[in-house]
Amino acid sequence: MSEVVLTGVVKRYGRVAALDGVDLTVPAGELTAVLGPSGCGKTTLLRCLAGFERLDAGEIRLDGRPVAGGGRHVPAHRRRIAVVPQEGALFPHLSVAANVGYGLDRSARRGDRVDEVLALVGLAGYGNRMPHQLSGGQQQRVAVARALAPRPSLVLLDEPFSALDAGLRAGLRHDIREALRADGATAVLVTHDQGEALSVADRVVVLRTGRVVQAGTPTAVYREPADQWVAGFVGEAVLLPATADAGRAATPLGSLPITGAAPDGPVTVLVRPEQVRIVPVAQPGAVAATVLRHDFHGHDALVALRLADGTRITARVWAEREPVPVGAEVAVEVDGAARAWPAPPSPIDLPAIPVG
Amino acid sequence: MPVSARRSTATLVAAGLLSFGLAACGSGGTENADPGKPGDKTITVYSGRNEQLVKPLLDRFSKETGITVKTRYATTAQLAAQLVEEGDRSPADAFFAQDAGALGAVTKRKMFATLPAASVEKVPQTYRSRGGEWVGVSARSRVLAYHADSVPAAELPKSVFELTDPKWKGKIGVAPTNASFQAFVTAIKVQHGEAKAKEFLAGLAANEPQIRENNIKIVEDVHAGTVPVGLVNHYYLGEVAKEQGTTPDALKAKLHFFPGGDTGALVNVAGVGVLKRSAEDPDTRAFVDFLLSAESQKYFAEQTFEYPVVDGVAGPAGVPPLADLDSPDIDLNDLDTLDATIALIKDSGLVP
Amino acid sequence: MTTTRIGAGPARTGPARFRVRGGWRRLAPRPALLAASAAAVAVALVPLVYLGVRTAEAGAGRIVDELWTERVGLLALRSLGLAAVVTVACVLLGVAAAWLVTRTDLPGRRAFAVLAALPLAVPTYIAAFAWVSTVDRLEGFWPAALVLTLCSYPYVFLPVAAALRGADAAQEEVSRSLGRGGWRTFTDVTLRQIRPATAAGALLVALYVLSDFGAVSILRADTFTRAIFIAFDLGFDRTGALVLSCVLVALTVLLLTGETLTRRRGARYARLGGTRRPPARLRLGAARWPALAGLLGVAALALGVPAVSLGRRLASGVSRPGALTEVLAATGNSLGFSLAGAALTMLLALPLGLLTARAPGPLATALDRLAYLAHALPGVVIGLSLIFFGITVAYPLYQKPWLLALAYGTLFLPLAVGAVAGAAAQAPPGLEEVARSLGRGPWTVLRTVTLPLTLPAVGAGAALVFLSCMKELPATLLLRPTGTDTLATELWTHTGVGAYAAAAPYAALLVAISAVPTWLLVARSGLLDKEDR
Repeated sequence: MSEVVLTGVVKRYGRVAALDGVDLTVPAGELTAVLGPSGCGKTTLLRCLAGFERLDAGEIRLDGRPVAGGGRHVPAHRRRIAVVPQEGALFPHLSVAANVGYGLDRSARRGDRVDEVLALVGLAGYGNRMPHQLSGGQQQRVAVARALAPRPSLVLLDEPFSALDAGLRAGLRHDIREALRADGATAVLVTHDQGEALSVADRVVVLRTGRVVQAGTPTAVYREPADQWVAGFVGEAVLLPATADAGRAATPLGSLPITGAAPDGPVTVLVRPEQVRIVPVAQPGAVAATVLRHDFHGHDALVALRLADGTRITARVWAEREPVPVGAEVAVEVDGAARAWPAPPSPIDLPAIPVG
Repeated sequence: MPVSARRSTATLVAAGLLSFGLAACGSGGTENADPGKPGDKTITVYSGRNEQLVKPLLDRFSKETGITVKTRYATTAQLAAQLVEEGDRSPADAFFAQDAGALGAVTKRKMFATLPAASVEKVPQTYRSRGGEWVGVSARSRVLAYHADSVPAAELPKSVFELTDPKWKGKIGVAPTNASFQAFVTAIKVQHGEAKAKEFLAGLAANEPQIRENNIKIVEDVHAGTVPVGLVNHYYLGEVAKEQGTTPDALKAKLHFFPGGDTGALVNVAGVGVLKRSAEDPDTRAFVDFLLSAESQKYFAEQTFEYPVVDGVAGPAGVPPLADLDSPDIDLNDLDTLDATIALIKDSGLVP
Repeated sequence: MTTTRIGAGPARTGPARFRVRGGWRRLAPRPALLAASAAAVAVALVPLVYLGVRTAEAGAGRIVDELWTERVGLLALRSLGLAAVVTVACVLLGVAAAWLVTRTDLPGRRAFAVLAALPLAVPTYIAAFAWVSTVDRLEGFWPAALVLTLCSYPYVFLPVAAALRGADAAQEEVSRSLGRGGWRTFTDVTLRQIRPATAAGALLVALYVLSDFGAVSILRADTFTRAIFIAFDLGFDRTGALVLSCVLVALTVLLLTGETLTRRRGARYARLGGTRRPPARLRLGAARWPALAGLLGVAALALGVPAVSLGRRLASGVSRPGALTEVLAATGNSLGFSLAGAALTMLLALPLGLLTARAPGPLATALDRLAYLAHALPGVVIGLSLIFFGITVAYPLYQKPWLLALAYGTLFLPLAVGAVAGAAAQAPPGLEEVARSLGRGPWTVLRTVTLPLTLPAVGAGAALVFLSCMKELPATLLLRPTGTDTLATELWTHTGVGAYAAAAPYAALLVAISAVPTWLLVARSGLLDKEDR
């Protein structure tokens, strides 16, 4: 169990700065997710941590001991930082047990550590198989077991679930998180999938164009995103123009309590779709709306609505018996507080995030 | 079955290949380029003569003298090039060449020592170099091989120059890249002048001869009847007969020796020269003497169907004796204007 | 860069995709790899140094006289013409055969895969000799083109068959779903997928034709190589021969430049993610009879003619090879020299192959191209240059097996570099990184991950070099240790005196032994795997 601290880490490829001054702390024994869109520098960050790349500036410390920066570069094999790459990258010529035992010294390989970690990832008894005899999910589990086996200071997971189908992903995520926790490992998970980051990580670090935009617990990042971009990136966001006055904002959805350090005056507020409730028409405090679209997701549904003033919003509806028909006249109200930032909002360039 | 099993097999094979290769090299170096010392009972001979023809003779030499012969076989031309490239550092003691031209080329580089007069005087002056750098050890005559059924003896040309007559169109086998053919063309130059040589080559080329890689292929084709006549050295008939398990007489291919001192009956030699660094080496001297001994001369006559060059040894069976040949009066030492000959042959279009 | 080369074979297992951003992954420090590559290329360029030295000795006047003639122009045109004809024929034949054995339900396709590769084991001088003994008055350009095509089309067949087998069916399915018919899909998609493999094979064929002496001299096709051999024979004209050789180098540069220019930039044909599905085999129906007849016909011409001819020679002659010990000694020497040659060649090729695979760029390309330069020189020139090298620089090695191995190295380096580059693709850099992150140092990673994964493909490359060494004659004649014979030199010796019956067993042994590495190459390409369900 080790704490990792990055200070002002810069990594350039030619004239492009893939990492542009990253400050970051990975607490010991926790799973930290580095979340960002493609090209944000998260894989570069992982490669710098692992020791595959040299820093151009800044410093990385492992338990207070510098491993990179200031002219120092501890080579990858002396860092005790194990990597779980995308698609596992099992050694195709070695059996599962030999893969898992690869990082162990001779005596440890004969001990029960291999069986222990295989059991940890739910693959007890698979030691004699060859990698090509395993499914994609099983290969990923072996890759995690292999990384855990030598009890590294840090485990780096590089989008380890991205190649798997959705059904498998959730279960595997959970299992691997449990395995990491059971082994007391410190881990960094790199992903572009906000659902993955929020569901498994103890802490989420949002990275954008080589910089850390926000770091915090999953709840904090979701509920109190640092800016509108983060708000949109980590989940469905309804962003509304509003006017703040003494802790409340006048919005197209009515007057809402607000959080965040926005001064009185014009602001932009964030409402999550699950805060929006569809209620029978003419309820006091509710605002009239027209149903535009209805996207059914099984456990929930996202309903697109237009308010009387033309503002479009989204509501998340749980466990409804009958879907509201498109074109129906309904009313909506908001639960809880809205996150507010000073306005006017610049035209927001939200990343396209697949719903679900 | 598991890819892994096949993989490891392949790995083993590959590793085995590499290690065996390395081992082979480590142990393979028993033969080396060490030129050795005079009188160490070992000599290195570069032989442009075929191993099949001379190895029995060399083995006999080793057996009789106790001198080990390390022999390097390749084409005479390649060995000449190799010797010239090696220069002073050549590990060779002697060069046993197929023809006088190659010996001349090495002589020109001043790489040969002068042979002791006592050794070479047995051989007529016309079959050895004037400066004593090389000596002929066996002689061969240029002949016209002909297919007995398709060419009546009466129609055989009296002179090689008649072959430019249109009646021979497409019927003549020639090996223009062969050194003995080149020596023959040089002889025309010496005997009749360059213009005549040029005219002959032009006429021959115009007759669309059947170009062959070497003499043996010509004799085979003449025997098979696919080529009616061919310009070759006489002893190839013997080699073809040997492969067919018969005697030269039994072949359909017959030999026609041009009469009247015609250039087409030029007599050339295979010979030997000693490299300068072995000038005083008794082993190398013994080798030269052995080649000129009655025993070796007899071997050439009986086994390679060549003419002995030393008096008192009977010639090969089935051909007229050397003394009876009406060969042209040409000193082989005068056949050293090879460059001009090659230019002529190239210009004639017989070779690319 | 193309990484599909002969012997590379398709990736069977292992991760399909790795991030390539950043390009260079440190397997070995780049400067060391560069230096080693440069050293290997320097060795390969020894013949060129020799050519330069000797040509300069000739003097400008001689060079102009020798080269500025109509004859040289004609020879150059004819050589390029022969190379062009044979290359086109080999591409047509090789791609067609590869397609038939990998993509159709042709009966006996695994047997045909072996038959189509087997001509690699037949030296051109044996094939050409067999043809002239079988067909009377066979000579000139077209017969030479025929024999060279029959002997060298496996250079196209093998990599193309491997590529066709490894190619993903999805692209073809997409093409057909977009309305392109079978033939359009083949020309627009399939041929493009196998383009790197085809180009690599075609380049080898073209260079092979330029340097071949066996077929052109026996069948009397007046090409540059024949002119060079004749120049040596005619009055022992070393200088003339070497000046002519310079033109051959120039022709090679021309070919390489052409190949490099037509190579599209960044043409990587990597498969992105997903599992590979073997493409559905086309049902030939009635067309399978002409297809079978075609393949059988080619096999009969390429293998049957030499076999029958050798058999007839053996039956009709009375000469017999020397004692069994002589045959065994020649076999042992052939094996030993060829193994040494293959080992040394692979050693030289290792850094260069890794460089082209792991650090592609102008520098790696330049070094790779340079390694090809000596590949088109006739063996006799290589032999003389190594004599020059041995005498002046490495006298202790002179007439030792290692110098012969070195000659093989300069001759066959390009074959080996291709295999190593292909092998490196079998061990993606990501695997090495994982291994290092698990605490293993670079040497341990090399030993436990890189080597086990690359050795099979490297072994396939070694097999190809090995069989090329087995067949090589001119350089072997000049450089073998004094007093040692190989199968090829024995063959030369016996045919030199017309003792064909004695030569036949050596020829048969040479072809039989060469068939083993050829079979290995076929197996390595996955063409013998049972994959049909």
